[in-house]
Amino acid sequence: MRAFLRRRLPSGLLVLVLASFLVFLILRLIPGDPASSLAGPDAGPAAVEAVRARLGLDQPLPAQYLHWLGGLLTGDLGPSYAIGGQVADLIGEGLGNTVELTIGALVLVVGIGLPLGVAGAVTKRRPVAALVRAVTTAVLAVPPFVTGILLVLVFAVTLGLLPAGGHESILDEPDIGLQYLLLPAVCLALPSAAILARYLKDSLEQALGEDYVRTATALGISRRRIVWRHALPNALPAALTVLGLQIGQLLGGAVLVEAIFAWPGLGQLAEQGVTRRDYPVVQDLLLLLVAAYVAVQLLTDLVHTWLDPRVRWE
Amino acid sequence: MAASTPSSSPRLSRRALLRGGVAGAGLMTLAACRSATDLNTKAAADTIGTPRRGGTLTVAAGVDFTPSLLFAQSANTLVQRLVFNTLTRYDDQLKPQPELASSWQLAPDGKAVTFKLREDVKYHTGRPFTADDVIFAVKNLQNPARSAQLRSTAAAITGFKKNGDHELTLELAHPVSNLFDLFEFMIIADPATVEDAVAGKQLIGTGPFRFTKRSPGASLSFSRNEQYWNPGRPYLDGVEVRIIPQADSLLSSLRTGQSHLSYDVQGKDVATLKDNAQFRITPYDTGAGGYYIGVNVTAAQVGDKRVRQAIAWAVDRERLVQQALGGYGLASSAPWPKSSPAYSEAGATHYSHNPDKARELLKQAGVTSLSLPFAHSATPGATAVAQILQYDLRQVGIETVLQPTDSPTMQKQLISQTMPALWTLSHGFAQLHPATLAVSAYPFNEAKNSSHFSSPAYTQIVQQAWQRADSDSAEAKALYQRITDTLLDEEFVIDLAIAGEVEVATAKVRGATLNKFNYLNLDDAYLAG
Repeated sequence: MRAFLRRRLPSGLLVLVLASFLVFLILRLIPGDPASSLAGPDAGPAAVEAVRARLGLDQPLPAQYLHWLGGLLTGDLGPSYAIGGQVADLIGEGLGNTVELTIGALVLVVGIGLPLGVAGAVTKRRPVAALVRAVTTAVLAVPPFVTGILLVLVFAVTLGLLPAGGHESILDEPDIGLQYLLLPAVCLALPSAAILARYLKDSLEQALGEDYVRTATALGISRRRIVWRHALPNALPAALTVLGLQIGQLLGGAVLVEAIFAWPGLGQLAEQGVTRRDYPVVQDLLLLLVAAYVAVQLLTDLVHTWLDPRVRWE
Repeated sequence: MAASTPSSSPRLSRRALLRGGVAGAGLMTLAACRSATDLNTKAAADTIGTPRRGGTLTVAAGVDFTPSLLFAQSANTLVQRLVFNTLTRYDDQLKPQPELASSWQLAPDGKAVTFKLREDVKYHTGRPFTADDVIFAVKNLQNPARSAQLRSTAAAITGFKKNGDHELTLELAHPVSNLFDLFEFMIIADPATVEDAVAGKQLIGTGPFRFTKRSPGASLSFSRNEQYWNPGRPYLDGVEVRIIPQADSLLSSLRTGQSHLSYDVQGKDVATLKDNAQFRITPYDTGAGGYYIGVNVTAAQVGDKRVRQAIAWAVDRERLVQQALGGYGLASSAPWPKSSPAYSEAGATHYSHNPDKARELLKQAGVTSLSLPFAHSATPGATAVAQILQYDLRQVGIETVLQPTDSPTMQKQLISQTMPALWTLSHGFAQLHPATLAVSAYPFNEAKNSSHFSSPAYTQIVQQAWQRADSDSAEAKALYQRITDTLLDEEFVIDLAIAGEVEVATAKVRGATLNKFNYLNLDDAYLAG
């Protein structure tokens, strides 16, 4: 393992350094600058220059880059230009909220997708199967921003049951936090739930057509027992793989859902950072994502190496 | 063995549904314990019309608060007057009224002003407010790092004389006609914590509410200042500002009663609420926002003022107001709102929609074909404005190439004077004493503006209007008229419409007001039943 790490860590670090360089440069290439943005709509050039000097943006680019990198290495992400506060706190809070939304959605994906998939596979009633198919198709066809607006219109505006948007921490006030979470989580979960339902339905149908099911039926074992005890455990692994893939999908989709429901997660933070040219926030956020990918890649390779001796010996 | 037959499968499905139903009902029961949608609406319930203590007012804002712009005019100015006070505040006629200053005396030559200050004012830390805090506030605005648009007016204050803890004289380099614009704008922050304030760590003022919490991008919370100097005020227990950048979500937040008040509902959306008894819509005629077409006079062909005048005749301002602003605005070819001493009917209607006149002027200028780049903000509202203008200009033979530009880029181009031939944006500062527009609003700045326009005559009139003690005498008004005449003749800024803020409030909100800089004043606000 040490040998593996010795071999792979330098390339991981190299990716990070290159990514930091690219992230830094690309942000500087986008037109517009934070100083003008911060100086306000009626500021004169002198005011802009003063802001530029205060932010250290009057320094040459290599100096700015090294200053940022130095901060990162010492664990100091520094203050945000426009949003206010420390970048580390902003990212920490945004990450917590995005994870909260993703976990909420994941629970719903399983909660909706599993029964829907099982119902679609085991029912012999045509209308039920058709309904399951129609629902999953419709949910997949409608983009999340439309679903989001519809959910708000029905459950918030018309029925007045749930808040239209915003966020309360589920840890601080669970009952209120849950109500804020429900609509965005449903909106985020629906497409993934439909995908899970479809995969589960297919694999469960396949499992139900196997010989052992016929044997079990012939032996007089109840249909319910056959489905839950025998067919489902065999059908689940394929569906679980799909579920795993959906987690990444959920994190990505959260950006749009966060905007619709004014949910202050990482997507909102990135959008704010880019719009206001808050360089430290965007730089750190992007680098964090790259680091996460590098870490996952390393971990995957490590597990792969551990599991497969052929790879280990190469 | 009926259970083993395939016919039993629907029962399974029903069970699954039932389980789901029970889980759902569980959630609803949980919701029934305490509803997030009811928390805001149950805050206060009493007879309508009688000021009532209690409750938390929720304000929906489209833009987050930017701490580093605390001392500048920015897109979100709701926070300033909640936490801080100003020395004076304007009434509807632009007459200053006491706030932290109880009285004042202007020297006959206009080169000094002496303030008597309230003696019963304390900062949120408990420290008493004194004349030193006013001196700090002026010096703070003189600092270029604060990006204060009224810095030129603050910089005219060159001497500070303290006559005790609660009286001081500010000495001026020259008379300044918009001096009280500065005092309407200048919040009196606590000097010891001012750096924390611009870093977003804490906000310490003398105002009606204490800043308690901020979640960037999400919300700001305030609680009542129990030691507020204004007796019995504020009525509210607290204020929560929710940041909702998406227009549809902001509207939903108001419709569901989750938010009580907003100044960020767009014109077209306001129109959908105006017949709804649940809402009270109040347009402010302060005219804090002026829609305009800027012209870079160094660009080819628009250097000829006849071409600029042709553009001014070509645009249909009334249609713009109706279609893009939902009717909430005043079509006007001059920048001044009706509340301004510089306003005149003749100025507002100087240019009307007259394509024939536009074509005639283009002909006189020898222009046969014209294609101009036309920048606009890449937001739905600004794009609609640009498209309407593009259509109008095409009717007189002026082709435009729209350039949707994001806000920071536009801002940079504006300040660095690198705008294309045409652009459309909105400007502020016409709601104040007229000299402020020409010395502090960048598009009109006589010394340096985004249009590259300069003329000794314009500079002279602007300086004359600014460097005088009075602001509404006949002589002052004659100067404003000359500024208006110059603007209408030169048309380096082609004014289109004047839009004030539009307050959308649920029916129970009473007594909220904005000052001339859109600072939200909730001293007298309350939630009726």
